[in-house]
Amino acid sequence: MRKSMLALVSTVLLASSLAACGGNDKNSGGSSAQPSPSASATSSGEATGDSGAAEISGTITFLTNRTDMIDKEYVDYAKRFKEKYPNAEVRFEAVTDLDKTTKIRIASGEFPDVVLIPTIPNSDLPKYFAPLDDLGLNDRIYFKDYKAYDGKVYGISAGATTTGIVYNKKAFADAGITEIPTTLDEFYAAAEKLKASGVVPLASNFKDQWPLYPWASEVPSSIAGNANLNNERVNSDAPYQMDNPYGQAMTIIRTMHEKGYLEPDVNSTNWEQSKKDVASGKFAMYMLGNWVIPQVADSGTTSDNVGFFPFPYDNSGKVNVALAPDWGYGVNKDSKHPETAKAFVKWMLEDSGFDAFAGFIPVLKDIEPNVPQLAEFNSFGPTYIEAVPDDEVATEIVNKAQITKEAVVQEFVLSKDPQSVFDKYNAAWAKAKSAVGK
Amino acid sequence: MNNWSYSAQRKLIMVAFLAVPLALLCMFTYYPAVRLLVQSFTDWDGISASSEWLGLDNYKEVFTNPALFGVFLHQIPYVVIGVIQNIVAILFAVILNSKIRGRNAFRVMLFLPFIMNAVAVAFMFQYVFDTTNGSLNALLGFLGLESLQQSWLGNTSIVNYSLASIGFWRFMGYNMVIYLGALQSIPNDMYEAAKIDGSNRFQTLWYLTLPNLTKIIQLNMFLTLSGALSVFDLPFVLTKGGPAGASETFLMKTIETAFQFNNFGLASAMSVVLLAFTVIILAVQNAVLNRKGD
Repeated sequence: MRKSMLALVSTVLLASSLAACGGNDKNSGGSSAQPSPSASATSSGEATGDSGAAEISGTITFLTNRTDMIDKEYVDYAKRFKEKYPNAEVRFEAVTDLDKTTKIRIASGEFPDVVLIPTIPNSDLPKYFAPLDDLGLNDRIYFKDYKAYDGKVYGISAGATTTGIVYNKKAFADAGITEIPTTLDEFYAAAEKLKASGVVPLASNFKDQWPLYPWASEVPSSIAGNANLNNERVNSDAPYQMDNPYGQAMTIIRTMHEKGYLEPDVNSTNWEQSKKDVASGKFAMYMLGNWVIPQVADSGTTSDNVGFFPFPYDNSGKVNVALAPDWGYGVNKDSKHPETAKAFVKWMLEDSGFDAFAGFIPVLKDIEPNVPQLAEFNSFGPTYIEAVPDDEVATEIVNKAQITKEAVVQEFVLSKDPQSVFDKYNAAWAKAKSAVGK
Repeated sequence: MNNWSYSAQRKLIMVAFLAVPLALLCMFTYYPAVRLLVQSFTDWDGISASSEWLGLDNYKEVFTNPALFGVFLHQIPYVVIGVIQNIVAILFAVILNSKIRGRNAFRVMLFLPFIMNAVAVAFMFQYVFDTTNGSLNALLGFLGLESLQQSWLGNTSIVNYSLASIGFWRFMGYNMVIYLGALQSIPNDMYEAAKIDGSNRFQTLWYLTLPNLTKIIQLNMFLTLSGALSVFDLPFVLTKGGPAGASETFLMKTIETAFQFNNFGLASAMSVVLLAFTVIILAVQNAVLNRKGD
């Protein structure tokens, strides 16, 4: 076994890494900080625009995580933005470790005009960001309250993703499935047909744990029709029940495991391989977000062989789906050209075409998604349940109780007595809840 | 400086040369270790500027919460296999210490796994242990032992033995090389004397070789046990602690506590406990083996 020396070394390393994280937060960042054009950029372009409120001019900088678009799509974006606002100019700066870098830049007091808002509590938003209510988009966007505080919107998501069944169309056709299932019974029947045709119906990637996340949050909230479901756990001492949405969702995947609709050995799965297998039709379906669609298409098939439909969790024929935001655009409160920055945010949302490029559902409700799979998805008429920010108390209890939501699903599926798994987690939950004291 | 006395110059040079490594050592080993200890008494969450002093609460939590402390049970198979590993290593060392043909080739072959990167090894064994396409099950099928085919990493009662056997494969050669070195330092005239006294091979091994190896066995057992206490990379890469937490180890729990659940205080306490255990094992082992040795 002996990690022998190695283990000793790793113990010491762990010790030092834990400790090294101590002290104050501001001193890190050397590695990720980049030579930044923003400082000069923000001060240079002041020439025009004598502070007329609606004047769109000057040079602004946008800090983004899409390093892949620098020198490519962004060149085009900058050109088109300038066409629309001849006096204004936008520069792009991309970093790989967006969240950390942005936090450090914000903490330092100087940060670009437009950023993607990092993970900070919503109550801190007014300290750093300008409200975006005057853009007039509030009634048109999803996730209005996601990055909002005190009734003001500080961030607008760049796009939205949803969760459902990503499937190989050819595998479906070969198994003789002509109609996309819209009820749970039909779904099981389709899985049975797939199994009979020698295909693994659903690639759960059980062993890797994280791909099980939809069964622990998205599916339960859809069943409940309530995006706040995870947060409302704080009101309960026993949030996991066999007959509540959590139990219902996890029972579905447990049933699929029992009937042999998942991989032959769920404890021996391989995520990277599964993408190729879904692409080749060895596996038929994923229950994941639409982000996986381009990855499957790139793994050895064409995009038009990949379909996407809402997961029918019951037999009503009506279906809710969870809609989750991507990073949100925020405008620096101290920007020299706040109007330009805001105009840029609006332009990104309305005119840039970024959502189509990134495979997102547009955050503006009145724009139809450009991705064919999303159009197919929408043709089933799902009701979107917009995600809400995580409740701080709920997060605190989860951390205190050390509940990994995907691990709950794993244990629930494997256990002989699923109720005992819930009992165990409910006990941990109740204990942590009283320890947190709320 | 020329008029400094020789001893003053000597001291100056000693201090100058020692200053850099000592400064580095303090900065990157002792300071973090002290911070770790201090943190283990707080509820620091990894982000906030302030944290609250909890006294011994974190330690109480470590020892009373079966979800944290109970995972040590998962590490017993590593100890069991580790002991077997040492026995096999001694046997190989004794065999390869005799004059057999091609012994250098065998030594190299047995030692090679140790050189390989731990994560690469783990990935490799993912394909060996894979239930449907894995080479181990394929081999068993080829030999007509289908009844033994199983989910090596998915069966809660054998997953830890499967993982530990990878460690066996990897570290046996390393232990063997250490034993070989020790064997070669045993004076040959002792063996001649034993031969003259008419001892057979087993008696030579039991009454001569092993007692001479005591110190080295002690070292290897320490490496084995402390390694078993801090298993991390194999389960982390191969099973993520699954199925259903059956192969989680204390170190994995510690990392999870710190970086997933943002409880750096508790995680620090867990690290300190692990450190203390290692020290205790070393002390106990020293006491036992020294008494026996003298």
